[in-house]
Amino acid sequence: MVELARANPLIGTGTRKVRWGRLVSRTVIYAALTAGGLAMIFPFLWMLSTSFQSAGALLVPPPQLIPSPIELGNYAEIASAFPLWRFLANSLGVAAVATTLQVATSAMAGYAFARLRFRGRDALFLLYIATLMVPLQVTILPLFVEMKYLGLVDSYGALVLPSIASAFGTFLLRQAFLGLPRELEEAAFMDGAGHLTVFRRIVLPLAMPAIATLAVFSFVASWNSFLWPLIIVNSPDLMTLPVGLSNLQGRYATAWNLLMAGSTVAVVPILIVYVIGQKYVIRGVTLSGLKG
Amino acid sequence: MRPVSRALAAIAATAIVVGACSGATSSPSASAEASPSGGAPSPSAPAEPVTLTYFTFSAAPDHLADLDAIVQAFEQKYPNISIEVQTAAYTDYFTKLQTQVASGSAPDTFELNYENSVAYASSGALLDLTPLAAADTDFDASVYYPKAYEVFQADGRQFGVPEQFSDVLLFYNKDLFDAADVDYPDASWTWEDERAAAEQLTDAANGVWGHYQPIQFFEFYKVLAQNGGSFFSADGTKSTFNDAKGVEAANWLIGKLDKTMPSDAFGPDQDSALFKSGKLAMWHTGIWLFPALADVPFAWDVSVEPGNVRKAHHFFANAVVASATTAHPEEAWAWLRFLTSSEEAVTVRVNASWELAAVADQSLFEPYLSQTPPDNREAVFDALADIVTPPVIEQQSQMQDIVSQALEKARLGQLSVEEALNEAAAQVDALLQ
Amino acid sequence: MVGQRGWSYRGVVVLFLAPSLIPLLLFTVGPMVAAAGLSLVRWNLLKPPEFIGLDNYVRLVGDANFRAAVINTIAYVAGYLPLVFVGGMLIALALNERLRGLAIFRTAYFLPVVTSWVVVALMWRWLLDPGAGVVNHALGLVGIDGPGWYNDPAWAMPSVIIASAWKDLGFVMVILLAGLQSIPDEYYEAASVDGAGRWTRFRHITLPLLTPSLFFVLVISLINNLQVFDQVWVMTRGGPAGATSVVVEQIVTNAFSYGQMGYAAAMSWLFFVVLLGITMVQFRLQRRWVTYG
Repeated sequence: MVELARANPLIGTGTRKVRWGRLVSRTVIYAALTAGGLAMIFPFLWMLSTSFQSAGALLVPPPQLIPSPIELGNYAEIASAFPLWRFLANSLGVAAVATTLQVATSAMAGYAFARLRFRGRDALFLLYIATLMVPLQVTILPLFVEMKYLGLVDSYGALVLPSIASAFGTFLLRQAFLGLPRELEEAAFMDGAGHLTVFRRIVLPLAMPAIATLAVFSFVASWNSFLWPLIIVNSPDLMTLPVGLSNLQGRYATAWNLLMAGSTVAVVPILIVYVIGQKYVIRGVTLSGLKG
Repeated sequence: MRPVSRALAAIAATAIVVGACSGATSSPSASAEASPSGGAPSPSAPAEPVTLTYFTFSAAPDHLADLDAIVQAFEQKYPNISIEVQTAAYTDYFTKLQTQVASGSAPDTFELNYENSVAYASSGALLDLTPLAAADTDFDASVYYPKAYEVFQADGRQFGVPEQFSDVLLFYNKDLFDAADVDYPDASWTWEDERAAAEQLTDAANGVWGHYQPIQFFEFYKVLAQNGGSFFSADGTKSTFNDAKGVEAANWLIGKLDKTMPSDAFGPDQDSALFKSGKLAMWHTGIWLFPALADVPFAWDVSVEPGNVRKAHHFFANAVVASATTAHPEEAWAWLRFLTSSEEAVTVRVNASWELAAVADQSLFEPYLSQTPPDNREAVFDALADIVTPPVIEQQSQMQDIVSQALEKARLGQLSVEEALNEAAAQVDALLQ
Repeated sequence: MVGQRGWSYRGVVVLFLAPSLIPLLLFTVGPMVAAAGLSLVRWNLLKPPEFIGLDNYVRLVGDANFRAAVINTIAYVAGYLPLVFVGGMLIALALNERLRGLAIFRTAYFLPVVTSWVVVALMWRWLLDPGAGVVNHALGLVGIDGPGWYNDPAWAMPSVIIASAWKDLGFVMVILLAGLQSIPDEYYEAASVDGAGRWTRFRHITLPLLTPSLFFVLVISLINNLQVFDQVWVMTRGGPAGATSVVVEQIVTNAFSYGQMGYAAAMSWLFFVVLLGITMVQFRLQRRWVTYG
């Protein structure tokens, strides 16, 4: 609310009372956020720390947050035991393509459901949502058979095809579009613009926070997706990171330090995507002139 | 919308059934095809290049290089055959394998543990190896440890070749025994000896526990045998594990809890952590943990497990099998044979402590036996004198879950041991029908 | 104002829908319909399937394990939803303030969302360890004898709920934050001119304009969490003594562990109908509380 206060001379004019109130509320907010943030960040630190522990040291209670001695070999070990760079590149490629496609198809469908009128719209929308309601474990076998007939078993195509469209994304963007004020669009239609123009020039930019959010979630979902790539891919050259790393879990004993090193490698790229995406979420607010 | 979705439904349903049928119906014809030509392709014969897939859970993460060495040795001997290895973690392995088998794209050769192999064999998903073995003139089944070879037979057909086996021993921390001035376990021990020692060794103040033995299906069928009981009636149609001997066996497992044994529902690998940190005196666990314990900072050894009425030890075996749908039965047989009994393969396995090749020739295990710790490695083979294989039915996982859950209810005190076992017996009987 | 009839308008509709509709039909709806076919067979995935009509559904009615799993699933959602909603909302509101350094908090709260369940479950098992865990240690300091958490049938579900809510807070937070950020400043400015206080602004601007996002989160959370599986699978495997056995866990176990694919498909179809019903009711009710711009 700081900028709000600055922008408007009627509030926050600097009486002592108001300033005190703001200071207290700010302190409370910071304190609560810090406490919560620590609770959120703890497992991540712990994963990081484990990835630098020697084999076995981890399992001797109590768990140590600062590894001693610091073991750097875990990363080298997984990189030598597995084609780690290949896994990373595959995950990155699949996630990038899936995210791009999903954002594009979801935005278009979201626009159709939010702004176009056609017969059976509500029923069709419900069909979209319904696709989220059957667990993958049940549909995976028919999907596999389908891929077999398409000749796509063990291919990049099979990794990407099922994630071209996203009902989740369509729903998210439909809600975002419905929440946008219509004045600008109406003005554009008056000027003779068509739906494509309105979609590209007005709706998409205004919904940037939601689009960035969807991009982050699509990326995360694709990046972490496990069961489908496990089933459909056989050759190590096509394996994504989670599938490759699942091989670190042995039948009788698991090398937790290696697994955590692998998990750390897996988390870092999504964090980068999130930090980039977040910028757009926050930047969206500075758009102005909505009253046209 | 409607015609479209109806058409789709039809297509999808057809695809499924076609996929399913091509996946599972062809076993008799495949084995019939295999028999007349007979025999493994001779190494020198010029032949079409063939690629065989091999799907395994036991190689990753620690033995990928070892498997690779075996594959290379094989490809050198059979230049026309190349092996394409696919690996998955054990927890994911069967999901993937079932999907492949169900859709008619099973790998040519793959690994099965004994408990799961029965359902695969009886469903006709596996290639009958009997004619291939018979036609292979220089093959002699006696290279395998006899029991390990026999368990993979059903209805007079050999459906798998034993790849490796392992058993469970009593591991013990010598330092804790010395400190408490208790004699080390030996082959003469009974449950009562273990109980007495555990009471002396448990030191609550220092967090030291006397012993640990998981409370689940696999331990239960074994202690039941140690107590002279049997899991099923002789004709295999009825559960008998809930008789007096079964109740006593379950009580032996559950009665130790919180007195001399830590609470059962541990996190992953917690028993291993406890033993490694020197807080557990005796531990019933598998010989596959030898490599993991090589560097612990205390002295430890192993002994055969104590019995009660009689001695009984686990026998866990993995087989390698060929799919009924493989296009290359002879090549598959050559690979299965090489993988399990060739000198090259056995040497690699023994040197890597990759469980134990199921071969009969004890001299091959010399490098394995000479490694320490533990000093008493012979116990691994001593235990084979009185092995019991797990009871196996077609609904294997379900039976295991029923029994494990009954033991859990008894452990938690939700039911008495008798009630829990009776309930489980009734449920298992229903599965047998 | 623009024509909503005629071929060109239909063309626009098709153009906007086809890129998502075709893949959805091919790769999701198709397999779902095929799964309906599977629910009519007995099939262990190894031998040929056998058509048994509606037997799987009949059997489902008398399946005590399935009934218990349904009850556990409802209990899970009842505990989970309020936690993530209130928690996610508070965090989103706090992070929506324009204060320094919030970017780092936004990242921190998102960390659990991207961390894999394997890691998270392992950590929570350690935190909640009845003997050596940090939580019971802390409770002990204030004189409370901590429960057995995931070892205790009465506390196992709460343990799963706590871990799940903790992991998903960031998910709810991110969506609500995007919703909050989309509310134009002008609305607040106008309200301030009218002399509205903090609470009034929240009550009359923030909350109504956030309802589309809240509705989204509600619908999606219900769909996702009635299908709760991953955390149960890695934390408790449905135990102890079935205390955390949930519907999808039953489905997966039957499909791939018990060799009863047809039965599992029947379970998921019955469950699908229920989920669809719940979602339709939510869409009906949205008119009463969701405000669109």
